[in-house]
Amino acid sequence: MSSAPVTNTDAAWLVGLLQAGDSFYPTGGYAHSFGLEGLVELGVVRDRETLSTFFRLSVLPTLRNAELPLAAHAYAALDPVAPDWPRVAELCSLAHALKSPRELRAATEKIGRQRAELAARLHAHPLAIEFLARSSAGAWPHAAAVSAALEGRTLGAPRDAVLAGICYSTLSATLSAAMKLLRIGQNAGQTVLTEALAQTPDIIAAASAIPLAEIGWFNPWLDIASARHETADARMFIS
Amino acid sequence: MADFHGQLSLRAAARPEDGVTTLASQSFRAPFHLSKSYWEPDTRTLLVQVVNPTAGILSGDRLESSVVVDAGAAVLLTTPSASRVFRMRSGEARSLQSFQVAAGAWLEVLPEPLVPHRGSVFHQRTVLDVQPGGAAFYADLLFPGRIAHGEVWGWSRLVLELEVRHGAALALRERLDQSADHLRALAALAGAGDTACFGNAVFIAPDSSAAPVWRAELHALQRDGVWIGASPLHTEAGWSIKFVAPDSILLRRTLADIRRVLTKNAPHLRCDARKL
Repeated sequence: MSSAPVTNTDAAWLVGLLQAGDSFYPTGGYAHSFGLEGLVELGVVRDRETLSTFFRLSVLPTLRNAELPLAAHAYAALDPVAPDWPRVAELCSLAHALKSPRELRAATEKIGRQRAELAARLHAHPLAIEFLARSSAGAWPHAAAVSAALEGRTLGAPRDAVLAGICYSTLSATLSAAMKLLRIGQNAGQTVLTEALAQTPDIIAAASAIPLAEIGWFNPWLDIASARHETADARMFIS
Repeated sequence: MADFHGQLSLRAAARPEDGVTTLASQSFRAPFHLSKSYWEPDTRTLLVQVVNPTAGILSGDRLESSVVVDAGAAVLLTTPSASRVFRMRSGEARSLQSFQVAAGAWLEVLPEPLVPHRGSVFHQRTVLDVQPGGAAFYADLLFPGRIAHGEVWGWSRLVLELEVRHGAALALRERLDQSADHLRALAALAGAGDTACFGNAVFIAPDSSAAPVWRAELHALQRDGVWIGASPLHTEAGWSIKFVAPDSILLRRTLADIRRVLTKNAPHLRCDARKL
């Protein structure tokens, strides 16, 4: 932990990341459970204890091995001085290829597109504007992790702060879905969130060291539950 | 343990005069061995069995295989017995598998299960490259260990990578790199038990619809503790089919059921892998 005083420059990107991670920010994340609803329907996640285990065994490893390394590589490729656009395009495609269930790809597509468009609209940053132009021309799929990196670059935020923002928004969105799906109180929910957030410094450090060729992780049961959720008769969430 | 570099290279092609698939070229080096291939006239599929006559996969093994199926050819590639990965006091074993399927060709890859023993270190990378108009069914089975001996979830490291390309597009990239304890804990969370077995299949078919009837039939196989889900791949090139069973017998039965269900869309799947 640095003891250096926070500067006004830090405050500028910090409030930007807080805004982007807020449930009030219109990314559409509230409409997704990211596979959790399927696991609840199948009786795997059913209470605070199993939710906490699901966070530890599935959500955090996905962040560590897939979403955060994608974002870290995207952050490097989106250097405002010399953006590596072919690498950005590759990462967008890779983000989709890593998700075998269609609903999980649809979730990252919608959230990623909205985040990229908001970054361009709210900050009018040339990097975000060029990203949108290139992604449209090249028909790149959108990815939440890549767009979060773009957001961070437009705000001038350091990489690890961007990764921390992804951790928070992912965990809080999943918890928000869980609160609607399970009989779990506010305090219990915050306890689960606090336990998971405590893991994030180690996860960010590990994720930052993962090479491009080793990005990827999946939970077979989550993928199966998500695949079945696509054809469920009734459902509360899009994914 | 000295390095042992095994190599297998096959190219299957259709004979111009009658369309019968033959091995146009083949080369292999121990531990790979090839049984005499068998043309199955009913399904018009060449059944090719790759044999590893050694006890299994050992530290230092480097296994490379490349299979190419040309336009008009149809191949079922299988193995006669499980691939056992033995305990390694040091080092690791690696396998690189490449399958290329041309437009108008069919390839089914149906190996017997992978069985990682306690203390094994194994890295398998598989690349399935299907050209538009080509079709394929690839299925990998993973047992948690030597179930009959009560030795499960004991590997030191297991990395299974699968990359599927459709033309120039990356359709799927999966990496299973969980520790044995982690996968065991996930199985416990899902109520799958200590002998949970995994199946990972990819089905590429040129005329695969967005909402095929067979999907509901596959999902109806979820019973007796079996989990199964099918979802379209990125690029809509085909399907990812994942399944988990509480034991090896149910896993094999589920794979047989999947092949039976998909037969309507892929008649080559009627070819019996145990014909030889």
